[in-house]
Order: sequence, then C-alpha cells, then structure tokens
Amino acid sequence: MNIHEYQTKKLFKQYGLRIPSGVVAYTPNEAVIGAKKISEKGPWVVKAQIQAGSRDGGIFSDKRAGKKGGIRLSKTIDDVLNNADSMLENMLITNQTGNKGRLVSRVYIEEFVKTVRKFYISLVIDWVSAGVFLLAIPVIEKNEDSKTLLLDKSSDVLKLNLGTQTAITKEQLDALISFMGEPFEYKELKSFINNLIKLFHDYDATLIELNPIGVNKKGEIWALDAKMCFDTNALHKHKDIVALADDAEIDERELIASKYGFQYKELNSGIGIIVNGDGVAINMINEAKNIGLDTACFLNLKGGVDRDKITASIKLIMTNPKVDGIFINILGGFLRCNLIADGIIAVANDLGLNIPLVVRFEGTNKDDAKEILLNSKLPLQIVNDTTSGLCMLKKAIEEDF
Amino acid sequence: MSVLIDKKTKVLVQGITGTQASFHVQRAIKYGTNIVAGVVPNKKENKHLGIPLYKTVKDAKKKTGATASMIFVPAKNAKDAIIEAIEAKMELIVVITSGITVSDMMEVKEKLKNSDTILIGPNTPGVITPTEAYMGIFPDIFDGTGNIGIVSRSSTLTYEVILEINKLGFGESTVVGLGDDFIIGSNHINIIEKFNKDKKTKAIVLIGGIGGYYELETAKQLLNIKKKKPIIALMLEDPTPLSDMNSISSEVIYGDEYNTKQRLELLKNSGMIVVNNISELKEELLKL
Repeated sequence: MNIHEYQTKKLFKQYGLRIPSGVVAYTPNEAVIGAKKISEKGPWVVKAQIQAGSRDGGIFSDKRAGKKGGIRLSKTIDDVLNNADSMLENMLITNQTGNKGRLVSRVYIEEFVKTVRKFYISLVIDWVSAGVFLLAIPVIEKNEDSKTLLLDKSSDVLKLNLGTQTAITKEQLDALISFMGEPFEYKELKSFINNLIKLFHDYDATLIELNPIGVNKKGEIWALDAKMCFDTNALHKHKDIVALADDAEIDERELIASKYGFQYKELNSGIGIIVNGDGVAINMINEAKNIGLDTACFLNLKGGVDRDKITASIKLIMTNPKVDGIFINILGGFLRCNLIADGIIAVANDLGLNIPLVVRFEGTNKDDAKEILLNSKLPLQIVNDTTSGLCMLKKAIEEDF
Repeated sequence: MSVLIDKKTKVLVQGITGTQASFHVQRAIKYGTNIVAGVVPNKKENKHLGIPLYKTVKDAKKKTGATASMIFVPAKNAKDAIIEAIEAKMELIVVITSGITVSDMMEVKEKLKNSDTILIGPNTPGVITPTEAYMGIFPDIFDGTGNIGIVSRSSTLTYEVILEINKLGFGESTVVGLGDDFIIGSNHINIIEKFNKDKKTKAIVLIGGIGGYYELETAKQLLNIKKKKPIIALMLEDPTPLSDMNSISSEVIYGDEYNTKQRLELLKNSGMIVVNNISELKEELLKL
C-alpha cells in the first residue's frame, strides 16, 4: 500500500526529520490561502499529489497545464494559483503511472528551501538477502530554470547493507559521509538516517524513498520529497496508515477484491480470467495472446476459503463490461474447487449467464466441483487443460457475436 | 534417500488442530506421509486425528524422533512457531502459512543463518516425493514417480507444469515449492545442489517467480558448479507489472540485471535452458 507525499512528510516530522512547511489544497483558492499561510512572498513549490514517482518528469493529459511536470517552482502568488489550477482535476502521466495517468485530486504547497546539493536516498528491502539496503545517489539539476531533477546514474551509487540493524554503524556512516562529501554535520546526518531507519521498522515499510534530500550551506538536511510503501501483510498493525488509503488511486474492482484478500488486475478488453495463482494467470495471458485473444482482466483467488468472498469476487469479473468471455482455471491445493463451483452457480442464479464461460478444475475436490456444475445445467463448458480451454473460449466468443 | 522427504521421514505438525490443517493432514496421512506428532501449545486433548499431541516442538521431537516440521500456524503466530522449530534443531521445516509479514521473515532469516535447518516456504504448496510422502497441500495430480526434479517459485504454475509433462509420460522424483512470498527460506540453488546428488533425478525443471531475483542469484552461483544436471528454467515474461517493487531502487540494487533481457541472458550463460511457456518446456524436455 502507498500513501501521498504530504502524508509521508507528516510521519517524517513525527520522527524528527526536517521538512519544508507545507499545506494541502483541493482547490486553487485553497492553494493561494495555503501559500500565504506559509510565507508572505515565497517562492513556493506546487506539487501534484499522486501515488506514483517521477512526477517532475511527467506530463498532464489536459493541455491547459502546459508542458511542465507535476512539481513546479512558483515565484509569485499568481504562479501558485495558475499552477494549482492547471494541475487539479487533471491527469498526470509519468513513467510509473501507465498511459492513462492518475487524477490529481489535491496539490501540496510547500515553502521553497534553498539547498546547495541534492541526493537520492532510499531504504529498501533486498528480498534475497532479507535485509534493508541504504541507497544514495547524487542528483544533478538539468537546468536552473526548470529545477528538473535527474539521477546521475553515471556516477557511483552507494549501497550499504544494513541487514536488520536498527541504527547505522560508525563505519557505515563514515562511508556515507565520504560518499556525500562536505558540507555535512556528522551528528545531523547520523540522526537523519537513524530516524529514517526507525520509521522504516516501526511502520513495516518496504520502501522509503527521498528523491531528493537537499543539503544547505549550514549542512542541514531537508527531506524535499517523500515516498513510502508498506507491507500489505502488516497493515493490520497500522490502522493510522490504513485510514490514509486514497480509494480514488485504486480501480474500484481492484479495491473490492483487495478487501476480500484477493488480487484483481485490469488489462485491456477481451477475456476475463479467474485463477488461484499469478503464475498461471501470466501463462494464460501469454497463451491467449498466441491464439489472438486479448485479456481484459484477471482475478487471483489465491488460497481463498470463504465461500461468500469467492462468490462476490467472481461477480466482479462477470459484471465487467469489457469482458466478452470468461475462463475459470483452478488448480486447487489449499483452495477447494467445490467452493468455486458453488460461487459460479450463486452468481449465475443472481445475474444470469450471458457470456461464454469455460471452466477447468484440477486438484482438491475437483470431481465434486464438476458434478455440482453438471447438475446445475448451466450453459458452460468444462475442459481439461488450459490450451484447449482457450481455444474453446475463442470459438464460443466468435459464435456469440 | 530421495530429496528432503521420503516415506520414512518422521513429520510433526505445528498448528495441527486448525480446520485447514486437519483437512490437509488427513490427506497427507492417506498418501503415506509418516506423521508422528502434533504440536499445540495450549492443547486440551492428548490426540487429534489419532495423532499424539505435545505442547512444544522440543518435547514432540524427543518423544517421537521427528526430524521434520510442517507448519500451519496462522500468520500472526507463525514467526514464533518457525523459530521454535529452528531452535529445536529440526532438519526440515515446511511453512504452509501465507500472509507472514516481511519483518517477521527478516527475523526468521536472521535466526536461520546460524542453524543447519532447511526452511521451505512460507506460502508454499510444500515438498513431495511422489508415491512416498509429502509435506504440504499438494492436489492429487501425481500419476507416479519419475526422474524429473522440480523446484518452483509459483505454486499453481507447478501444478500446471506437472499435469502437462505427465501427459507426455514424464514423472517427478521430488517437487519442491519454495514459496510465493517475497522472502523465502531457501533459494533454487540449495535444492538444485540436492538434485545434483540425487541418483533418481536425471533433469531439473526450475519454475521462476515474478521479478526473478532468486533466479538471478541462483544463476550466479551455478557458474561456480562444474558437474551439474540439465536445468530447464521456465521464466514467464510478465505482461503486466504485478509487483509493486519500486523501479528506481530495484534498478539500483540489481543494476542492469533488473532488465528482463539481460537477466534471461545471465540465466542462459549459467547453463540453464531458458523457456518462456509450457509448450516450449515440453519440447525441451523431449529433447533431453
């Protein structure tokens, strides 16, 4: 799960990190009031709040916003007004959002903090070694005017393996300081990093990313940006984070499925796939493509055991207007096939079955499941493997037209 | 002895009284698994499904001689259960539980560093030596035995591969599901080394996971192994970014290897035959 930059910064502040003063605004008017609250004469930075990175290099879908990205330096109150006005209710497309982009429902107005150097800093989990890494990369500014930041990937990257440490060691800190160079206050950097580490562990983060931090002449470290991702499995421990979830950021069907503990993904339009594992879904999407079928969406029921939740989720696919045929492909281990069969019948009784449906059951309770479906007399086809099922579905969809 | 488990392996089950555990334990016993004990810290009965219950892993091990533990304990208490089994020096632990937090698994991995225990999972279908025994939740899809060793990061895809290759007349020596979670107890390479030593296994099928991080590490370590059996690696190309791994930080940690093409190149250089769908996998198996 992700949260917005301004929400992350609130957490940063609680953990003693230095952040520029800022105000959230949902309308251009609020942006102006907020800016005046921050300072009399600026400059300010207006930042589009979406839960995806590379906002600065992004572009808005509505041309009224001009060609600049989602982070804009604003020297006058008029600039604040214009920038907020052009960003709000506009779609911001970055290299992390997909072609559709994300709706900017709010902007964050911040005081502009003058710094002399900038760095990309992140704490991230390396899955294979099961430890936390601290990454640091110098950031160069493309040009003074646009303040567009670029990661200087040609230069060295510092990777420090913190493992499960709760604080940075002296050796690691020395390495970081010699990497970042002057001016740096030893104490300031140490507490900055240690506060980040504490926040990371306290909140079961999987990533904290600051792109960038800025260092001023006095050696003060400012968190100019903030991004944080959380371990979905640990959210039950962090009700304050769950409360921040911005449902507008998530597709409605995806949201419903995730509330049941399942995974739903929207792709294009075409067939709808219901499986109980990512691997099988990806294999099916690839195989469908080979015979000329596009995929609209897939639902992964994982190891679901709750009959009602399964039924409600099958409904999500059956009611998706972009779906022209459905393949339910279950290879049950933990998940029992008969629960899926019950779900299919419940949904069909409720909504009717108006599009081609192919079902394949393997594994736990598959014979019971097949019998349930056969007895239901529903107009569906039961198949024995993925390839023949996809071919049958293709034929049925073509005949349906 | 086959890889990890055979019909003689004495297995205890932590969290045996749960609904899901009871269901799958009964199936495993029917299959031939030698389940000798259940561990329930706050037990009220002395037996469950006819199996004697103990309060601690240590006690169960001492009384029954169990060497392997299968864990069904719910996510909230799973970390403690795993650590208890590691501390009791169980040789093999298979964790079926899903939903364990990343921080709990980091703690478990730390504990594992100073032990000889082999941890499989979490969120795994388990380990099976067909016709002998299994620890896990495998569906009934095995025809018999054979000489293909399978090690996998994707549960359901494993079932799909087994169903497809068995139609061609192949069979499996042992199948190991490493688990579908981000942090897992063992990597492919640990199991490949065992398959290399196993007389029955003639070829290995590796099924990759999303992201391919563990496969990359395995490829790097394979470069140092001289005598090895043929490995066919099924690496599906992800048509949609399913993981929410951040692109900048992954790029930095894994460097250019994060790039799919270069990652697959590295796998090939390590001697693996890399395929990207099940049809290709079947063709390569027939060529061996």
